[in-house]
Amino acid sequence: MTTAARARAFILIGLLPALLLYLIFVVVPVIWSSYYGFFSWKGIGEPKYIGLGNYVEVLRDPIFWNSFKNNLYIVAYSIFGQVPIALVLAILLTRNSWIQKFLRASIFMPMVLSSVVIGLIWGYIYHPQIGILNFLLDSVGLSSWKAGWLSDPKVAMFSIGPPIIWSNIGPYLILFIAALQNIPGEVNDAAKMDGAEGFRKLMRITLPIIWGTIKVAVILCISGSLKAFDLIFIMTRGGPANSTELLATYMYNNTFNIFRYGYGSAVSTSIVILSLLLILGSQLLMNRNKNAL
Amino acid sequence: MKKRFVHALLLLMMFSVALAGCGSSSTPAKEESSPATTETKNEEQPKEKVKLSLWHNFTGEDLRAKAMRGIIDQFQKDHANVQLDIQAIPPDGYRQRLKTVAAANELPDVFIMHPGTIAKEFSSAGLVQPLNDLLDSNPAWKDGYLPNSFDDFTFDGKTYSAPMGLSPTSILYYNKTILTENGLTVPKTWDELLNAVKVLKEKNIIPIALGNKAPWLAQSSILSSLADRVTGTEWFDKAVAQDGAKFTDPEFVQALTYLQQLGTTGAFQEGFNAIDTTQMEQLYAQGKAAMIIEGGWAVTNLVATAPKDVLAATGVAVLPSIPNGKGDPNSVSGATGVGPALSSKVEGAKKDIANQLILALAGPEAQKTTLEANQLVSFKVDLDKSKVEPLFADLYSLVNSVKRTPVYDSKLTSAATETVNNGLQELLLGAKPEEIAKKIQDAQEQGLKE
Repeated sequence: MTTAARARAFILIGLLPALLLYLIFVVVPVIWSSYYGFFSWKGIGEPKYIGLGNYVEVLRDPIFWNSFKNNLYIVAYSIFGQVPIALVLAILLTRNSWIQKFLRASIFMPMVLSSVVIGLIWGYIYHPQIGILNFLLDSVGLSSWKAGWLSDPKVAMFSIGPPIIWSNIGPYLILFIAALQNIPGEVNDAAKMDGAEGFRKLMRITLPIIWGTIKVAVILCISGSLKAFDLIFIMTRGGPANSTELLATYMYNNTFNIFRYGYGSAVSTSIVILSLLLILGSQLLMNRNKNAL
Repeated sequence: MKKRFVHALLLLMMFSVALAGCGSSSTPAKEESSPATTETKNEEQPKEKVKLSLWHNFTGEDLRAKAMRGIIDQFQKDHANVQLDIQAIPPDGYRQRLKTVAAANELPDVFIMHPGTIAKEFSSAGLVQPLNDLLDSNPAWKDGYLPNSFDDFTFDGKTYSAPMGLSPTSILYYNKTILTENGLTVPKTWDELLNAVKVLKEKNIIPIALGNKAPWLAQSSILSSLADRVTGTEWFDKAVAQDGAKFTDPEFVQALTYLQQLGTTGAFQEGFNAIDTTQMEQLYAQGKAAMIIEGGWAVTNLVATAPKDVLAATGVAVLPSIPNGKGDPNSVSGATGVGPALSSKVEGAKKDIANQLILALAGPEAQKTTLEANQLVSFKVDLDKSKVEPLFADLYSLVNSVKRTPVYDSKLTSAATETVNNGLQELLLGAKPEEIAKKIQDAQEQGLKE
């Protein structure tokens, strides 16, 4: 056995337990679930094979596509809200003075709150009668801007944005700070000697070096956004009238409230496929971007 | 060679960790199925304790839940030869848990079962056994029930449970002080209600507080009674069976139009789809709203949260009558409550004990205890009014003086219920009643086929 082969074997062995767990608890259920998608099943009694019936219904279901659209909103909030804000904050907060430490901690704070708490806090901020947001608008003379933040279907999906962005900046901030601190000092010194300062240095030196981290962040954003469930479930329950329904809440309702296990499985399989497509798309897009830079 | 040994050892350790992981995840299933195995043991060795698993959802701190837990504790004390394996599951997730174990055919021996759809599914799948013999051998118990009490537990002539409570879903709670101060009386007709809405709105008082974030409330508490007044119960039964009536019929569209009218005249406060029932009760308890429409269960909450003056001013009534309605206006939509059910796997000595437990949970004694814990029952018991809250005593008198009509979600298929719930949110936001009616019709038709 050569050293390289031995190292590879060791890596394989090291990966095996995680891989096994992943296979048993993720891959196998996904396959099972797509199989259940071929049946009409209430959870009790004999499942009835109905071929592609459920999948056809998913494709034709306006609520499903509306939920998908809402998920894309959340993807957009994450990529164009969380990532840039976290990046800017990370650049501003890389040093270790006490004020920066304090700011970092307070930005990270929502991460340690349970999403139920966050949902309740923002539910009260948006509350139609006693909400602080409407109260603030009143007191600065912008009463005409008041809205049924969570109860008006036209506005509700936008009201979901701030809590999602606010509560998820933390981990990206940490990710970016780590990446920035990993940039070797020599590179910075060299840049300084070559006269690259400020914005120019940021665009030419810093961003290209941490581009890999940004890519990871974007992928985390996409996958996290497609899994989004808890905040919406607490704040709106997908309502009013399905206007803030997400793929995950829709799947949950079908499976565990209406007890259409087959249809719910078909919906979750569709979520897996759509997620994979989105991640693939974003990868292609960003790899091209990098070459262009 | 030595290294390879180390590798092998490492590999073995990792495998065992992985397998231990699997092992621990599968043990709950083993535990749940163990009563079945101990049962066979019991037949061989009668001296051993009889093990009986019991699932219930009385986890709260309200009087009723405490009373029920008291009954269970007492049963355990009185039966030294029985070992109860009790699982108390919060009501919110209870249905899901039951469905999940039912799918794996691992239902507990005795469990609290919901009437209607879930009972029907369990009985038709043969997961529960009928209680007819037990009921017949205790005539005082069986005959003590009010008429139609067993309807939602009876399928193909067999009765699978006995209700432990009664839930009227559509009670109009009103604040007498606010109404009198504004020259109003308790609305008895639709026009009186609309007039009250107009007057109160001008005074900046919320006429009816509504918290429809979890969208079952408008369906269960408002539509169930309102629509019955318009269409009559007979029409509803036909429409549910899709036999001679459809939800697209003009009378149902008319009922939806009435509900929408309430919305457009501003009877409900702003943003009613974004607040939940607790917040709605808060608005009423703070005296900001003149009325709320909610089920009988609101009494306990109001007693716990409302200030004394609001509570003293609170009265209960049924929804107002509808002009030219086909239904009896002197009625309230309501459903019989949960009841104990017996798994079909239980037999022999174990079944005798289980029957005793069921009798303890739902028998005449338990019904009396329940009523005194401020929970209505579907059973003939005289209420000692000194033992309960005055508001509950009022509710008791009201419910006993009117007819009971079906609740929409206890009769419709799960899919149609979901459609009604979301459809009413849409309706109150301005959608056309005809379109909502069409969606409900399609969902019920489809739901019956599955």
